[in-house]
Amino acid sequence: MVISKESQGFLENLTVYLYSSGKREEEIREIVGELEDHLHEAEKHGKRVDDIIGMTPKEYMEQLANEMPFDLKGWLKYLLMIFIGVLAYIVMGDAIRGNLKYSFIECIGYPCVFLFSLLLMAMVLKYTSSRKVSSWKERILCMGVFFIIPMALFLALKFFGRYYNTPIVYIGKMGSIVAIVLSILVFIGLAIWSKEWDSIIIPAIIFLPEIFLEQTTFDKSTKATLSIFLTMSGMGLYVFILFKRNKIQDVD
Amino acid sequence: MATSQILKGILEGCLLAIIAKGETYGYEMIEKLYTYGFTMVSEGSIYPLLIRMRKEGLVTTSEKVLPSGGPKRKYYSLTTKGKEKLDEFQKRWSEIASSVNRLLKEEDREW
Repeated sequence: MVISKESQGFLENLTVYLYSSGKREEEIREIVGELEDHLHEAEKHGKRVDDIIGMTPKEYMEQLANEMPFDLKGWLKYLLMIFIGVLAYIVMGDAIRGNLKYSFIECIGYPCVFLFSLLLMAMVLKYTSSRKVSSWKERILCMGVFFIIPMALFLALKFFGRYYNTPIVYIGKMGSIVAIVLSILVFIGLAIWSKEWDSIIIPAIIFLPEIFLEQTTFDKSTKATLSIFLTMSGMGLYVFILFKRNKIQDVD
Repeated sequence: MATSQILKGILEGCLLAIIAKGETYGYEMIEKLYTYGFTMVSEGSIYPLLIRMRKEGLVTTSEKVLPSGGPKRKYYSLTTKGKEKLDEFQKRWSEIASSVNRLLKEEDREW
């Protein structure tokens, strides 16, 4: 079905808006499909998406969202999945560095920071999808909320948890191996569940250089520099490949 | 604003009446509304209403593959509850319409 770029953009934004408002996947698919069908017919008669919704995109999205119930079960399922994924990242990194101990502040803080970050993300997605935000403003906002704020909070937590609090959970050498194996299983499980390779490739790029360098005889600072360098290049390469692949798909 | 408030209630009744004539889909409903002169209704405004009507059990939906191919199209049909609601709307509407007409005609004469 061919519809204009403008209409397509509206439908994409609507999808993001409804997802970040916690609506059921099936219901979102239905209403977006129905509107796509309508826009297709309307455009054949020379009408534009603005005429069809008859109000601002934000007002229209709100009206639709108000008629759809909040999908608590589905939302909790996603929350649990993402939480287990994030936990696996944290545990894996600490286990490789032989640093598997957590203070009380960390045990309470990680879930809090995690929930706060997700809530913030949902809010920003709702905001940017329903308004015509100028692109640089949108980009800075997304960058800030998606990467910098959660990252800063996690790092701050790690710092304060380590230096101002005594560990209450301590996992030894055997436990570390179990933790690494469990984390790998989580990454594989998430890849199967999401049918995407990302949850295997990204941890591999982050952790493999570190594991590999642990086996070498370089001094500590060389190891650290090389690890960062390898991870950065790996990420760059991966983003480049994704970008290329998307471009080819767009042409198709 | 006043128009839109009055319209909302009426629009639901009209959609019930259109669906009662046989299984139909969103764009076709709008085309029918327009042929009856409902040009003040914006096309998109029927969808939040249709979602609510299905939630209230007045209509059911089924998705059908089009002979021309492409994605499925969503068709609406009336339930027994929807039929009852339509009957109620028709009764209410004719009462309101005749009262309003009577009143306006009398005003005409007085003027």
